Amino acid sequence: MDTNADGRPVDAPGDEAGESQPSGESPPPGLSLASALVAAAVLLPLVWLVKLGVDVGFTEATSLLLRPRTLEVAANSAVLVVAVTAASVLVGVPLAYLTVRTDLPFGRFWTVAVSLPLVVPSYVGAFAFVTAFGPRGALARALGVELPRLHGLAGTVLVLTLYTYPYVYITARASLKSMDSTLVEAARTLRHTRFQAFRRVTAPHIRPAVAAGSLLVALYALSDFGTPAIMGFDAFTRVIFVEFNSFGRDLAALLSLQLVAITLLVLALESRVRGDERAGGGGRTTADVRLGRWRLPALAFCGALVVLALVVPLAVLGVWFVRGASGVGSTTLGFQWGYVVNSVGVATATALAAVVLALPVSYLAARHDGPLATLAERATYVGYAVPGVVIGLALVFLGTSYARPVYQTLYLLVFAYVVRFLPQAVGSLRASFVRVDPALPEAARTLGRTSTGAFREVTLPLVAPGLFGGMALVFLTTMKELDATLFLAPTGFDTLVTRIWSAYSQGYFGYAAAPALILLGVSALSMAVIVSREGYDVR
Amino acid sequence: MNGDDAPRMGRRRALEAGVAAGVAGFAGCLGPLDGSDGPDRRARNVGQIGSGRSPFGDRELPEGTSMSEMPEMEGELTVYSGRGEALVGELVEFVDGLYDGLNVDVRYAGSSALVNQILTEGDGSTADVFYSVNAGSLGTLAEEGRTTPLPDDVLDLVRGEFRDPDGRWVGTSGRARTVPYNTEALSGDDVPTDIGAFPDTEAFRDDVGWAPTYGSFQAFVTAMRVLEGDGATREWLRGMLDLGVREYGDEFLVSQAVADGEISVGFANHYYIQRVLAGRGGDAPIATAFTEGDAGSVFNVAGAAVVDTAADAELAGNFVRHLLSAEAQDYFARETFEYPLVPDVDPVGRLPNIDELNPPGGIDLTELSDLEGTVDLMRDVGVL
Repeated sequence: MDTNADGRPVDAPGDEAGESQPSGESPPPGLSLASALVAAAVLLPLVWLVKLGVDVGFTEATSLLLRPRTLEVAANSAVLVVAVTAASVLVGVPLAYLTVRTDLPFGRFWTVAVSLPLVVPSYVGAFAFVTAFGPRGALARALGVELPRLHGLAGTVLVLTLYTYPYVYITARASLKSMDSTLVEAARTLRHTRFQAFRRVTAPHIRPAVAAGSLLVALYALSDFGTPAIMGFDAFTRVIFVEFNSFGRDLAALLSLQLVAITLLVLALESRVRGDERAGGGGRTTADVRLGRWRLPALAFCGALVVLALVVPLAVLGVWFVRGASGVGSTTLGFQWGYVVNSVGVATATALAAVVLALPVSYLAARHDGPLATLAERATYVGYAVPGVVIGLALVFLGTSYARPVYQTLYLLVFAYVVRFLPQAVGSLRASFVRVDPALPEAARTLGRTSTGAFREVTLPLVAPGLFGGMALVFLTTMKELDATLFLAPTGFDTLVTRIWSAYSQGYFGYAAAPALILLGVSALSMAVIVSREGYDVR
Repeated sequence: MNGDDAPRMGRRRALEAGVAAGVAGFAGCLGPLDGSDGPDRRARNVGQIGSGRSPFGDRELPEGTSMSEMPEMEGELTVYSGRGEALVGELVEFVDGLYDGLNVDVRYAGSSALVNQILTEGDGSTADVFYSVNAGSLGTLAEEGRTTPLPDDVLDLVRGEFRDPDGRWVGTSGRARTVPYNTEALSGDDVPTDIGAFPDTEAFRDDVGWAPTYGSFQAFVTAMRVLEGDGATREWLRGMLDLGVREYGDEFLVSQAVADGEISVGFANHYYIQRVLAGRGGDAPIATAFTEGDAGSVFNVAGAAVVDTAADAELAGNFVRHLLSAEAQDYFARETFEYPLVPDVDPVGRLPNIDELNPPGGIDLTELSDLEGTVDLMRDVGVL
């Protein structure tokens, strides 16, 4: 665990922006305690992994970890994570810049449209691409041409990038919006080119946010099972899944522990990239960069993304929907509104719980140095990188062994979701807290507010966009989560994804289409609400 | 916040309405109704489950033991079903609706996932019955000592080869490995009866399809490993790759492609061919061929076991018994196009009778659970 303990503090000394750096003074004990409890709770499922891993025995464990196949799979996963993360930054940051800072035509439309791929479960996206592309795919038939098959590393990277770049886009966008654009204007008056101004002023400002978004992308790529499985690419998750399905639970646990180790490595790397963080809140944002002759390329870029990430799966789902499904299952696979209620209900509960739990952790991490702050924050990320199937089974074990009354209730299900998705709230909130100049709440205190009062009246409104952003992310990902849901949902509790899975896995694509389209619709709606609420700028 | 009750109430109401609607027509044929509850009510309600007809024409309820002759059920029952809701949901709801005092909750997931879940739950498992898509996962659960033997009179409903010798699980419906072929491109005689001959059949070059990531196909490869050994299996797979075999996502897609004439021949479980036929009104140019006595004609079963944590093992055993009723077996034949396992219940569609199949002898179905070795081998050859 000390891998990441040395992460952030080392680059703090010697930085001139000292006043806005996390302070070294010890945080309030209540805050520390709350953070520690949250961290401990989300690390709980690892207990089961360690237990199974220990059962395997040292000799077998060593030979497993060193066998060429394991190393190859680890290398595959590393390549995948690096490629997807890099591609997501290359797509997400320009998009954020275009929608916040430029006169991109239909800016409001694109702002929403390019965030929407986040509502598409990556497994649905992967199936859509496999169905649409290829020499015999739906698209090839429609166009009458031979299209290459999308599979392996390339297919996996493409699909994962299309459905995870919004993490970078959304965090970068929030950061750009909270940035004082007069700084850029100042740089421009100092005869910097637009690119130089971006590099010297904007890039350092948004770097923590981009790093936070990239971290989510990297960990998602590491933990996603569906896409590599559908694309036939041997990432860690696919191998873990095969082990589980051939009843090799012990080996699967070991592999999962290895995955946790890689996660810690990614976390350590991210804290290096994140670099120094400067508070710059209270700025004024104007959307005044004129695109000029870059208008068309910019539009084409946004358009291409929307077509690939949204139109392709929607078209495939639409075809399935229109074709319908015949005969078998019509009475049991038919759509019921109760599935929507269930999905929205648990996702809302999870989003609220995650934000509440994320508050102490992210505030502590943003405002205070020290091993506890770092550890607590990093701990919340571990569950995110562990595949849902592993978290699901771990909680099945813990639930039946130590918490019978909550086993197969919604409490345990929501807890599982929180373990999986807490970092989305933490990352988003932390980036927002960092942006708030500590001088502001201090000013409120000199005006007679208590520290809690200053937090509530000054800090919280300033981080509201991040808070809503975090809630939206947690809500959306919870709506899409499948593996843990299958293990932990109360018997008979159906959600949209369990219905999609049920119909899809049995080959009744027609019945999968309706719940999938509704899932996309509900998620898109929530996304639109969030994006419009974000409209009140930080001033 | 325990929302457990809300969906269950809705579900319960929905299924009662469904059952009522489903049996209304049937009950009407039975003459005067006295309107009272009790055993008579059950006798009235038992009948064909589902639409009551198959795409291949109507038929009478077959022989076998009717649910009306089976012990009544009362109490709470939790079924962990590795079989999908699309295929068995209607059947389970029918049985549930048959008895006022019975409430069946079903947990649907993959068969292996549910075995993992039961093993991980330990003695805290909420499962009473495990209903599986294949014998392998039933065998795994039994080997782990997590099943309770079924009563002999339940086991005796099916033939010896379709149940565990120690009575720890019983097959409820059958699925045969077959060779779907396009009747416009080939005649039945063109299809080899030896699975080993496929790689050498030049006529199939670039014209044959499979679904290597699909569980049933992997079970077929596992069977080949058990029967022929790893070396021969490796060679067979390599030969098929050299022949230019086309890859599909699942065996329904393989069968669709055969019917479309995209390929002439493929490998699939028998019911996919019937589903393609049923979906296209029976006039698609696709038919079923069988190999003889090899992995290409393995006959696997879906089946059920009583979990050792069952609160009421007798009730759980009786639920399994209902899956072997004439009505349930007829349902499998008509609605899922599987082979009924109870004698006197015939398959539906363009299928030979179960006794005309030539599955390989001496194969223990539970051996087909060694998926891991199969996946390794397939990956090694470059199939996966």
